[in-house]
Amino acid sequence: MHSNDRHEQELRLLQLHFIGKILAGFTHEAKNYLAIINESVGLMGDMVQMGKSSEKDLSEYLQIIRSVEDQIKKANEQFRALNRFAHRMDTELSSFNLNESIFELIALLTRLANQKKITLIKNFQEDLPSLYSNPSLIQFLVFSVLDEGLLKLEKDSRITIETAGVDQAVQIKIIPEGNVLEQESDVPSVPHEIVEMAIKQLHGNIVREGGGETLIVLPLTAS
Amino acid sequence: MTRTKVLLVDDEVEFASALAERLQMRNYEVRTASNGLEAMALFHEMPPDVVLLDLKIPGMDGLEILSNIKKFDPTIEVLMLTGHGDVSSVQKGMQSGALEYMMKPIDIDELTSKIDKARKKKERG
Repeated sequence: MHSNDRHEQELRLLQLHFIGKILAGFTHEAKNYLAIINESVGLMGDMVQMGKSSEKDLSEYLQIIRSVEDQIKKANEQFRALNRFAHRMDTELSSFNLNESIFELIALLTRLANQKKITLIKNFQEDLPSLYSNPSLIQFLVFSVLDEGLLKLEKDSRITIETAGVDQAVQIKIIPEGNVLEQESDVPSVPHEIVEMAIKQLHGNIVREGGGETLIVLPLTAS
Repeated sequence: MTRTKVLLVDDEVEFASALAERLQMRNYEVRTASNGLEAMALFHEMPPDVVLLDLKIPGMDGLEILSNIKKFDPTIEVLMLTGHGDVSSVQKGMQSGALEYMMKPIDIDELTSKIDKARKKKERG
């Protein structure tokens, strides 16, 4: 098998691994929302069975109802992000808003980042031009860089994701800030040669700058 | 028989407070912690009979809390709660001395039955 074919195969496998990671995070999050709703509704049931109906109890009922509504709203946002993420794979090339695609990726990775006590910060240029490119490959690319930061950084760190338009291109800058773990793994979850291959397919460029910053430049049209 | 003392450790504050209230209505004495440091402080302040522990706590991993609890008093029983399908973490928890695990969302009757069983086991030593 040629080296390119092997790398292509590895890229597909890593994309599947990425989708698996997103789904695992999503289902964990969804189960937590359901768990909160389950306990809130159970608590109201318990209160009704005990005949609790004083003014103080009614206020607690309202508080529980608001909490359930809040959980449903949060769950709905996650479902919407996952739905849009899934539809990014409908066609290889499409016209899309880069900020929206990164926004949904961040929404789906937030639990993973929270688990490591790392904050993901968005700093997007609002009037970014539309891209005609491969959105799911771009999400994979951004994930590859973010995941490396999540593996390397100590808790209470942060990673800022910036977008900006430049000439006939857009750029994504990923800036990790915080202490690097002492037992840092030398092996990134997505090998750099696979990242290079993905960026080549997108006709873009990636530069790893000093201080751990990564700059991804993508042309407005990838074909 | 004195009330069973339960320490509930979960970073989902709304989940923990609703579950704590439901357990209190069922005559359990419950304290809640939302992170590892708080959990260990409450643990030393009032050693519980049973700990309900979410495996994925930001900052200090649930497995680390489990290991600290077992080092302090191996007779205290720990029930793991998880919304995660991560089998390896559950296996590690069982190997580290957890009595059982439950997947969220949980059934309150099943939970109280497991808490009672855990307390009996603790009392038998």
